[in-house]
Amino acid sequence: MTQPLLEVQDLHTVFATRDGTVKAVDGVSFELLAGETLGVVGESGCGKSVTALSIMRLQRPGRIVSGRVLLKGQDLTRMSEYEMREVRGREIAMIFQDPMTSLNPVYRVGWQVAEPTRLHHGWDKKRAMQSAINMLGKVGIPAPESRARDYPHQFSGGMRQRVMIAMGLTTTPEVLIADEPTTALDVTIQAQILELLRHVNREFGTATILITHNLGVVAGMCKRVVVMYAGRIVEAGPTKDVFAHPKHPYTWSLLRSIPRLDAEQHEPLKPIEGMPPNLVDLPSGCSFHPRCAFKVERCARDVPALLQVGESQRAACWVTQAGTELQGA
Amino acid sequence: MIGPSRVAELDMPAAGVETAAARPAQSYWNQSWERLRANRLGMAAGVLILVLAVIAVLAPVFSAVLTHYQPQTINLDQTFARPGATHLLGSDELGRDSLTRLIWGARVSLGVAFLTVALALTVGTTVGMVAGYYGGWIDDVLMRLVDTVLAIPAIFLFILMSILFRPNAVTLAAIVASVGWGSVARLVRGEVLSVKQRDFILATRSIGARDSRLMVRHLLPNVLPVLIVAASLGVGQIILIEAALDFLGLGIQPPTPSWGNMLTNAQSYFFHSGFLVAFPGITIFVTVLASNIFGNGVRDAFDPRLKG
Amino acid sequence: MPELAAKPLKRAWTTAEPLVSVSDLKVWFPVSSGVMQRTTGHVHAVDGVDLEIKAGETVGLVGESGCGKSTLGRAVIRLLEPTGGTVSFKGEEITHIRGEHLRALRRDMAMIFQDPYASLDPRQTVGDIIGEPIDVHRLAKGKQRQERIRELLRVVGMNPRYADRYPHEFSGGQRQRIGIARALAVEPTFIICDEPISALDVSIQAQIINLLEALQAKFKLTYLFIAHDLSVVKHISNRVAVMYLGKIMEVAPGRQLYQRPRHPYTGSLLSAIPIPDPTIELQRERMILQGDVASPVNPPSGCRFRTRCPRAREHCAEEVPPLESYGAEHKAACFYPLD
Repeated sequence: MTQPLLEVQDLHTVFATRDGTVKAVDGVSFELLAGETLGVVGESGCGKSVTALSIMRLQRPGRIVSGRVLLKGQDLTRMSEYEMREVRGREIAMIFQDPMTSLNPVYRVGWQVAEPTRLHHGWDKKRAMQSAINMLGKVGIPAPESRARDYPHQFSGGMRQRVMIAMGLTTTPEVLIADEPTTALDVTIQAQILELLRHVNREFGTATILITHNLGVVAGMCKRVVVMYAGRIVEAGPTKDVFAHPKHPYTWSLLRSIPRLDAEQHEPLKPIEGMPPNLVDLPSGCSFHPRCAFKVERCARDVPALLQVGESQRAACWVTQAGTELQGA
Repeated sequence: MIGPSRVAELDMPAAGVETAAARPAQSYWNQSWERLRANRLGMAAGVLILVLAVIAVLAPVFSAVLTHYQPQTINLDQTFARPGATHLLGSDELGRDSLTRLIWGARVSLGVAFLTVALALTVGTTVGMVAGYYGGWIDDVLMRLVDTVLAIPAIFLFILMSILFRPNAVTLAAIVASVGWGSVARLVRGEVLSVKQRDFILATRSIGARDSRLMVRHLLPNVLPVLIVAASLGVGQIILIEAALDFLGLGIQPPTPSWGNMLTNAQSYFFHSGFLVAFPGITIFVTVLASNIFGNGVRDAFDPRLKG
Repeated sequence: MPELAAKPLKRAWTTAEPLVSVSDLKVWFPVSSGVMQRTTGHVHAVDGVDLEIKAGETVGLVGESGCGKSTLGRAVIRLLEPTGGTVSFKGEEITHIRGEHLRALRRDMAMIFQDPYASLDPRQTVGDIIGEPIDVHRLAKGKQRQERIRELLRVVGMNPRYADRYPHEFSGGQRQRIGIARALAVEPTFIICDEPISALDVSIQAQIINLLEALQAKFKLTYLFIAHDLSVVKHISNRVAVMYLGKIMEVAPGRQLYQRPRHPYTGSLLSAIPIPDPTIELQRERMILQGDVASPVNPPSGCRFRTRCPRAREHCAEEVPPLESYGAEHKAACFYPLD
């Protein structure tokens, strides 16, 4: 087994709010291997974004209260702010959901794309700008020399996202974290950007953490996937296996509740009953149990650990760990 | 993304959990009031203003019970008395008790301030609401009117008014309001323009509600927070304006005491009876400060980021 | 449910005729620029749309941002006044009606909005929000009104006791239910759903979709379902219309649209939509479009889609392709359709 590039070990990040402490990330562990694309999937409030921000140590006003984040063996949670600045943008790059606000409206695009290399590699203006123009071309922006002189508002949403990707890649980082990179985009533009990310992954070998709530995107982009709910990982494994035979009731119910484009007939959807949990006041035991169709007594008492279920998957569920198959009407 | 969803129980009829029914409904006003209450300094300032208002209203009572003087009683034996047992805050050049005059002056100063704010708010809100809601030429005409009003040099207007007639509290309030409603109108119009875009306004139109219903029942309550903040801050501003006008002799004329005109003559006596300047000055300062602090507290309590 | 006052009849209409009929509808918005704010052009938000909706059916309207679907929905319910063309409801032309006539229409047509956080007045209680249509049209008073409000909350799956609460106390899904209850308050025949689930979590979307379907069956409603998510639209609709830059590119029953799209835009839209099945995803042939959506201020001549279309030829720039029939209920506007 090769040493994973990035390892998150039992991470806990909390936020203090008027109503109490929100355990946004509640014991998350996973690995990212060099060159792979890992999907982190979950709905709003599940903690996927906060996990990413915690890796980058950008989680403020939240606090990382325990756990480790190992990048090539070095613990990022123990680093000083100064050391972290060396990591951000150089070793790990992040692109965000909303391309409208992620770029600074008062600076030209070329300048912004050139900034990381000037900061981290100390390149002079000319060299950095040349590299930026080069990268803009690589991400599919036509006429990059003249476009580099334009301002963000002169670009469409899809183009801006390409600029963000260019900005992230100029320093050839080892890891790229993409937090819902296509959620705000039209579906045909989304396809373009996902294709670009695939291409980037192939050409540069950058390991990617793709965070999304869209199971279809995960299915097309990621070899391995991690499913999050209420701050914890509930299932992990190869995408093919997780989709074909999910080992956690949440994943299982989620897959059945989504209307499929390729559905032959109109089958009524099977929604997950109830509502997402209150993060200040989580249910006892397994956070999903109030909405679970398979729950047993133990589920309300004990928090299940993420353990091996089946050949290649891990799931945090007492029921499936005991060997029960998930089936239903 | 971060933060709890408020109601954790299931909403399917079959699985109804009744915990939420026990809590009282949390309207936006309740929540804002809670937030304001938590702001100690803001609340203290508010209480201070309230106390001053009560004192102003009950001035005759205070006169009789506390100081035993009337504000206009002249006593040439006791001119320039230093603050002490007979005159708690001293007396002025005509032997009139300063504390009593300050108490009665509160009537004028606070009265004019509240009345001015009320007038400016009423006129300004109506104009701003109509302009913002209808847009088009109505908006253009009304806003040009506002621009004109705002361009009139206020001092010029005040001088003119005071030459034409002796202002009493009510007319003074009307004069100051006639200049001040413009900025309220602009404020309200801006707020209306932003609230108008929100989906619930469109939804209310889609059910067939008339414009008047929309404006009164939907726009106004959503614009109210901004108005309340403007009013709280406005009181302080008006007190200063009114004091300045009185001081210049353009407002309330002696012998009716107001905090401003108590300063008019006091400047001549500054060196030997500085307290005649200090007490009205401090009173104005403290009142305006309290008004500003309270106003800021109110604004924070209504913070739009926490709306709905 | 308590009886409401009967609706006024304008003229006889039977379900044999379409409930809603849109003909060559145009909605243009002026664009002004310069110091003098002159009108320099128009946004052709809706630029010649023909559509018919039969009683009891659900017509889905799908397209990407800027295609005009929301504008079309608002024009149909007359929240906007069309610039050209006609809209008819129950056989009667409503394109330019006003005042009382328009208000009467609002008893028959309702709308559900996208943003559950913005579509409810934060200063009103849930009961007032749902009761407002009842008040505006004077349908019920006092106890009868209260009972109706409670009934509506029950019908959308919420506890009737919630009538005293305020919108911010509820989650997105629950707020959307409140919005639906409001739309149902006048007992409409036709409801326009403008992206009703886009702002909701995936696990809640299914609940609302099922609710809308159940309500349709129970109250014999007709829906115009506007969304950008074709998977959802296909699921809930009988027929789906695909819009691009203000015009309809293709209309067909959902399954036919998926299995045999005729218009290249539909084809690329379908191939762009990710399917939650890794095996299928890895094998799919993708028809990825180049470039961005063109500007609705100066739409391309002829076929609007030609600037991104992999099959475009000279003719496409010269003439606007009309909607041609390809079998029952299937129409597409393309000179060189997919086979």
